[in-house]
Amino acid sequence: MTSSTVTAEARPNRFLVARRSGVGPYLFILALTVVMYFVLGPKQFVNALTIGAIYALVALGYTMVYGIIELINFAHGDVFMVGSFVSLFVLTNILGATGPAPDLATIVYQLVVTFALTMSVVGVLGVTIERFAYRPLRNAPRLAPLITAIGISFILQNVVQLIYGPSPINTPQVIPPSARVDMAGVSIGWINIFIIVTAISLMIGLQLFVSRTKVGRAMRSTASDREAASLMGVDINRTIAITFLIGSALAGAAGVVQGLYFGNITSALGFQSGLKAFTAAVLGGIGNITGAAIGGFMIGFVEVTAANFGFFVWAQAAVFMILIVTLVFRPSGLFGQQLGERA
Amino acid sequence: MRLHKISALAGVSILAFAACSSSGASTAPSAGGGESAAPPASLGELKLGVTLPLSGGAAADGQPTLKGAQLEVDRINAAGGIGGYTIKLFPLDHAVAGKYNEQQAAQDMQTFVADEAVIGVVGPYNSAVGKVQIPISNSAGLTQCSPANTNTGLTKPEEGALDLRKDFPDRINYIRVAATDSLQGPAMAIYDYDTLGLKNLLIVDDVTTFGKGVADTFQSKFEELGGNVVLRQGAPADTTDFNGIINSQAVEASPPDGVYYGGVVTSGAGLFLKQLRQAGLDIPFTGPDGIVNGSVNDDGSLIKIAGADAAANSYGTIAAIGDFPAKAEFDAAFEEHFSADSDFKTPGAYSGPANACAVVLLEALKAAVDGGAADMAGIREAVRAYASDPANSFDTVLGPISFDENGDTTVPFISFYDVDTAAAGGADWVFKEQQSFGE
Repeated sequence: MTSSTVTAEARPNRFLVARRSGVGPYLFILALTVVMYFVLGPKQFVNALTIGAIYALVALGYTMVYGIIELINFAHGDVFMVGSFVSLFVLTNILGATGPAPDLATIVYQLVVTFALTMSVVGVLGVTIERFAYRPLRNAPRLAPLITAIGISFILQNVVQLIYGPSPINTPQVIPPSARVDMAGVSIGWINIFIIVTAISLMIGLQLFVSRTKVGRAMRSTASDREAASLMGVDINRTIAITFLIGSALAGAAGVVQGLYFGNITSALGFQSGLKAFTAAVLGGIGNITGAAIGGFMIGFVEVTAANFGFFVWAQAAVFMILIVTLVFRPSGLFGQQLGERA
Repeated sequence: MRLHKISALAGVSILAFAACSSSGASTAPSAGGGESAAPPASLGELKLGVTLPLSGGAAADGQPTLKGAQLEVDRINAAGGIGGYTIKLFPLDHAVAGKYNEQQAAQDMQTFVADEAVIGVVGPYNSAVGKVQIPISNSAGLTQCSPANTNTGLTKPEEGALDLRKDFPDRINYIRVAATDSLQGPAMAIYDYDTLGLKNLLIVDDVTTFGKGVADTFQSKFEELGGNVVLRQGAPADTTDFNGIINSQAVEASPPDGVYYGGVVTSGAGLFLKQLRQAGLDIPFTGPDGIVNGSVNDDGSLIKIAGADAAANSYGTIAAIGDFPAKAEFDAAFEEHFSADSDFKTPGAYSGPANACAVVLLEALKAAVDGGAADMAGIREAVRAYASDPANSFDTVLGPISFDENGDTTVPFISFYDVDTAAAGGADWVFKEQQSFGE
């Protein structure tokens, strides 16, 4: 179960489960978390977890798509942005919400409907993009789908601008931002708790889905070796479509969360968040689900730590510096595997 | 072989271009050579350029400012134009995805320079845009009058203005009616310290030419007065999450009694204010003219993004006279002229200054035409020479204005505004008081 056994294999199955990376990275992350808690204090710790959860949800889509078809899906940040606008549409035009919901039942109802509709719509959007923009180019040179992805990114951004205009737009914050709970003497917003719990549940769900179900096994085998998988009877097109469906639905969920947390969205959201989420995915080892999730949280922590100590201007630089250090000393990311080829 | 041909061609065209531009720059009013374009047949149309961010989140800055200039152009044309010419307003929008964009602004300035009918340009709004446009307009000798730029480095040689007008350091082509940040920052520092009684501040800037500059001048004055800065942070434009700053340990340890944000709303001032209030900090939110941008009804305004309730207890400066003698008439004329428009029907804080800029440029044009400037290059240069001459005074809606040897106004004012949540027609910025810094 150490990495030395992995390098012996020609093409190890690195997708999703980091079971071959050993316990080292986990212990490292655990120690880091404890240290961060004491360095930042509980309030900032929660802030970092919240913002990190949003990055992590977006990063998952990057890493899943890369894991299965080795495409850096640059449109993914904008899929996330579309998610935030779909949730705005659902909340205001379908549910008629204008601000904090009056009671718990309404909150639950509005959240369930918003998440369900947004994740479905954005999931289908992801599948559509894959079907018409990436699938025809699956056997084309690597650069072709990459350029297409950038094109899709512009299309999504411009379509949203045509509909909603380029101004930032306020979104209803269904969970009242002023609703706070005292935990061991520290006042924590319910919205923070909700976001962290939702994100982590989705990540655990994804992990279980990919590692325990038949479709998940098909995904892993496709990632490992597409041709061999198809010879074994795996429907490659369907499996890839499902990957896009799940990855985009998670980005949709992140979009809902973005609107709920900040109460304000813009069509330019995708680029910046996409860049950070992409960095998170690379940091954790692109193609690896656990890695992407932890990478997202790490970026949240870097940003909040920088803000806390007065170096917020350097937050972006710090993120990329960590990225470079990771790539130099662990080229496949914290949780990635040594790859013989196609890296 | 082919390559040689192309490079030879390119060389020839560069030479030709250089010849053109040098003849344009050196032409004195009376010395119109045969090379320069003749004036349009039957004294047609001259253009007044306007360079502002006009769409998206920046529309709340740009649109009321544009209309201030338009009011003057329409008035002049209704009165028969200038010396037989009609004036056409020629606005170019350099907002990209709702924010001012320096690259686009530079391209727009090239467009103005290349269009010989453009006699001068009103704008820009943002100091960072001024920084990229001044070298281009200086090189071409095209006059720019900014209603709203406040960064000191745009005009003052000791602050690096000579780097911007490298081609013709002694030829002033950029003038402004707004006061500079060497006044705007300190004025707010005094207001915060004395009037609002704030002693411990959290200062955040947006790390731009304008935002960091004004926050620096603010902070040094505030500390000189004896104020204490709890935390100074830079939050680059595009920042959406300010919670890390708001909840930082420095803030928790010694809670600030006020905030100063050096920057503009498109950089995130609205989100910052919103998150401050959500964190339970109902302390005064103060800032420069970058945060004073329109009412709760205007897309992209601070009040709309933060929400009317959150925007209460906010204070901002405008680097221009807020209560000028002709204000009532100006506002009435503005509202009547644009009553049919769908939005931005009321004047913004920089509508008056933009109107003044149009007056300055058009008065200079009148002087140029009266002085016998006939060809286009000659008119352009005569406008520049007249507008930037410290000896000339212009009778504008803001009162008489003249410019010093650097192109700065000799009658600088700083005005103070705060948010009135009970304003008729929705929460809006209202004028409080003003301070003159003229001699």
